[in-house]
Amino acid sequence: MSEQMTPQTPQWWKKPDVKKTAILWVICTAVIGYVGVEFHVRNMVRPASETMSGVISLMRIFTWAAAPVAGLVAAMCLTVLTSKRHYGDNPPAEADHQISNSPRATSLWIVVSAFLCLFALITGFIVIQKDAVALLDKNAIQINVTGQQWLWSIDYPNGARSEDLYLPVNKPVVFHVTSVDVKHSFWIVQMGVKIDANPGYVTETAVTPDKIGVFDLRCAELCGLLHAYMQTKVHIVSQADYDAWLSVHATMEKGA
Amino acid sequence: MTTVMSKPVSAPGKSIVEKLNFFTALALGAISAIVVWRLALQILPEDTEVRLFTREDKITLLSMTAWFIGFMTGIGALVGPFRWLMGKDLTHEENMFLAGKDMGVKRYFRYTTDHKVVGIQYLVITMVIFGIGGILAMLIRTNLGTPEGGWIHPQAYNSIVGTHGIIMIVGTIIMVTGPFGNFIMPIMIGARDMAFPRLNALSFWLIVAAAVPLIWAQFIGGISTGWSAYNPLAGQGPLGMDGYIMFICIFAISTMVAGANITTTVVKMRAKGMTWNRTPIFIYGVVASVALALPAFPVFFLSQILSAFDRALDTSFYNTAGGGSGWLYENLFWIMGHPEVYVILIPAVAALMEMAPVFTRRPLFSFNVAVMGIAGISGLSVLVWAHHMYISGWAPLLNTPFMLTTELISIPTGMIFLVLIGTLWRGRLWMTMPLMSIFALLWNFMIGGVTGIYLSDVPADAFLHGSMYVTAHFHYTLMGAGLTGALAALVYWFPAMTGRMFDKKLSWIAFWMVQIGFNIAFVGMFAVGLAGQPRRVEAYAPTFNTGNMITTGGAYLIMAGMLVLLYGVITSWTSGVKAPKNPWQAKTLEWTVGYPVPLENFDVLPVVTSDPYGYGKAKS
Amino acid sequence: MSVETHAHHEHPDVVGSRNRLGVILILVADIAFALSMVFVYFYLRGQNVNDMWLPAATSDHPAILPLSATAGWTVTAIAAFGLLAHFYGLKGVRSGNQTQLKLGSLVALVASVVAIVYQFNTIATAPFTFSDGAYVSCFYMFAILNFVHIMLTIFISLGNWNRARLGIYNSDHWHVDIVNVWWVWMTVSSLLGAFALTYP
Ligand SMILES: [Cu+2]
Ligand SMILES: [Cu+2]
Repeated sequence: MSEQMTPQTPQWWKKPDVKKTAILWVICTAVIGYVGVEFHVRNMVRPASETMSGVISLMRIFTWAAAPVAGLVAAMCLTVLTSKRHYGDNPPAEADHQISNSPRATSLWIVVSAFLCLFALITGFIVIQKDAVALLDKNAIQINVTGQQWLWSIDYPNGARSEDLYLPVNKPVVFHVTSVDVKHSFWIVQMGVKIDANPGYVTETAVTPDKIGVFDLRCAELCGLLHAYMQTKVHIVSQADYDAWLSVHATMEKGA
Repeated sequence: MTTVMSKPVSAPGKSIVEKLNFFTALALGAISAIVVWRLALQILPEDTEVRLFTREDKITLLSMTAWFIGFMTGIGALVGPFRWLMGKDLTHEENMFLAGKDMGVKRYFRYTTDHKVVGIQYLVITMVIFGIGGILAMLIRTNLGTPEGGWIHPQAYNSIVGTHGIIMIVGTIIMVTGPFGNFIMPIMIGARDMAFPRLNALSFWLIVAAAVPLIWAQFIGGISTGWSAYNPLAGQGPLGMDGYIMFICIFAISTMVAGANITTTVVKMRAKGMTWNRTPIFIYGVVASVALALPAFPVFFLSQILSAFDRALDTSFYNTAGGGSGWLYENLFWIMGHPEVYVILIPAVAALMEMAPVFTRRPLFSFNVAVMGIAGISGLSVLVWAHHMYISGWAPLLNTPFMLTTELISIPTGMIFLVLIGTLWRGRLWMTMPLMSIFALLWNFMIGGVTGIYLSDVPADAFLHGSMYVTAHFHYTLMGAGLTGALAALVYWFPAMTGRMFDKKLSWIAFWMVQIGFNIAFVGMFAVGLAGQPRRVEAYAPTFNTGNMITTGGAYLIMAGMLVLLYGVITSWTSGVKAPKNPWQAKTLEWTVGYPVPLENFDVLPVVTSDPYGYGKAKS
Repeated sequence: MSVETHAHHEHPDVVGSRNRLGVILILVADIAFALSMVFVYFYLRGQNVNDMWLPAATSDHPAILPLSATAGWTVTAIAAFGLLAHFYGLKGVRSGNQTQLKLGSLVALVASVVAIVYQFNTIATAPFTFSDGAYVSCFYMFAILNFVHIMLTIFISLGNWNRARLGIYNSDHWHVDIVNVWWVWMTVSSLLGAFALTYP
């Protein structure tokens, strides 16, 4: 294997296939970035918390960061595919002066991918920090969630208990999640929070709902026969409605 | 038997070696299973503990173990070890007999040690596995065509999902290293056979032995847990889970044996002059794959042994009431589970890197970077397992380091892209199905890779984990990249393995049907995942219906394409055009031996003087 | 532990070094297996889920049982003795002394038989049942690992002694070298188990 590199022609960027690739690169990057972002954002649920909005903008950023790389690969593929094709049962003639390496190209490629990797890491890390701090919020409503085959029970601070989840809007909540039988996963879809419900352990996650409405709570871990049906509703209501609901349900629990 | 050839040997003729075959194995396996089952029913005491069913689990596991031992004895796996014990090693004649000398079709139904026979056996069993796994996939997709699900009972549905998952994982693990790693690899490095021919036969027949517990499982409750068989759900599952456990244990042994064998062959038996930088890149891919499996699969093996203990003996490894932990299972499972992804991917991608120079008539671009990429992926892949457990809550503080290692993998993966695209660049494209597969791989693997970066990000994963988005992502990598490479390898090495060309037109039709169907199916699946549909559900909210219908339609197109491919395999194999000696005019050694390949490949061992990518005489 | 190559006579050194690498690679798998057991042990010990790591006091045995790793260390000691005996035999055959090989491999065989009897007895007379918590589960895990390893050792030692007796190792002895590698790992793996069980 030849370790030497062929001397670059001084004006490599003026070669027609390079120019063609450059133009295609711009087009492909734009198309891939746009289509990628639109595909994700349009299909994703409408956010009902800042966490979920954060996830959506993260997807946006990552897609645009990846688009130039994907665009370059696509542009090079298109250039190659539209130039020297050969059909038939015998191979095409081999051209001379084939390079088998280009240290400049490879090192540039590696450095750029390392930077992109670093970028993704820092972006993710910032959000992780924010989520970790949210768990420590002393003013948050503390909710106990218990999974069992195949329903959720929600315990509120004042002793109320329900199968649907009721929460006031714009108030931080910390969920303490566990299971009595097998592993389930507690997922409020539109709020972008998920944490497994493990038997024998209590796990925690936090969120602040920021929209009034009805949302979905689904189990996201295969938990047996009726896993598909282990879902319920999340009602985000005003503080006043929440207080009213809570007092009614607390007395119901005590009466029962 | 070189070293002790002079020792007294048993009279040639009717030695036990010659009497055993697949049918004696089936018979002995079945008899052993039935005998042990009856005995266990008689002897084992009734359950007295609080926990029920451990007696049934004991009976099932014992019968399955008896099947396994009976089958392996009946096929002749124990002859070698016992002859060693007795001090009467196999004679040269017996070894030639074992290699299948002058035996025709019968070779394929014996404990045959010739690596070419083993390669064909692997090829056939891989196709059978994909056939069954594919039918199960069609059942899943048909059931998901409508939101209510319904026509498959949830119990059966869960079992179909689990069985589809595990056998496709096994099928993709063996799809390149099995057929091509065994048939092609030894010739490619200029060896006469594998380092341990009997272990080679062993690794194949272990897979056959493993298949039976898995089929058995379908009749005793099925595999209700998905392929990952998480505990404590698996502990609570039906007797079918014992079949899963046996299947995994036997398969893991097969993988370890194959890993030791292939690695030794490559390290010790390369032709004279084949230094590491003259060794074809495909060989690197195969070795990286099987060597990665060596430390990884024992952990999987252990996870299932402990699962069997919990079920049959009522121990508490995963049972939280007795001090066990589900997180323990998850760790053990994924310590194997992530390297396994690369066990599947690396050889398929390496096969395409091997083909790229052939079909562009250029040297491989930056061989060293290719090797670095493979090594980097293999090395990092053992450090990333907990990215499957970001939201399990087992160690939130470790999420950041695992995110770091996971995202670092994008650097060596990028190197693989660079090598492929650099080889294509300014090449003269010889338009064949294997060449187009490189483009298909770049496309699919790009999508699989970028979605993998979203999933590796902890906050994004908190939304995406456990949804159909994940399912679509790993199908893009394992199927879109892995299977694409394996199918290209099939068409490329078909002439070397069968002496005939793969029907060109059929290869094109199958290629486009599978690739288009694949992209339709899994783009639809990405969409429903983003919209919030969980994985492994047999029914879903009506809002997900459109995406699911698109996926189901795409899946049917894939199936039609695979049927065309199967038709192509059968017709080309039986009546295809006879292949010239080196139809692709490649420079690797497997094209120098002709067809049929002589029993020991080379009369005179070749001497290698350059790397196999000297197209266009690279000027220095 | 078998020679596998047909026709085309190769030098015993070539075959031997190939076999050694093959066995070492299989040992890599077994080492990963044993190390993940150590991981299981310390993970469950650290978690102590539901406070059920150590056997709980019940009406059957009112106090927590005295837990001891003596059995594990004893098996390790027997294994180490077997290893020494085998190594003694190996040194003999290296210097061309077949009698020393026969003696060493026979003593090693006896050691492995003693070990299996002892290990079986340990399992049969353990003062608890399988469902007595996570520590007990791990105790059985290591005991059964030792049991399986010793069974293999008996097979290997029997073959090794038998072949030594038949004079097969007169010309070359790489089998004996490889068996020694196995004995080393057998000893180390039982030591790993004993070490873990020392910290209940
Ligand atoms: Cu569930
Ligand atoms: Cu992974």
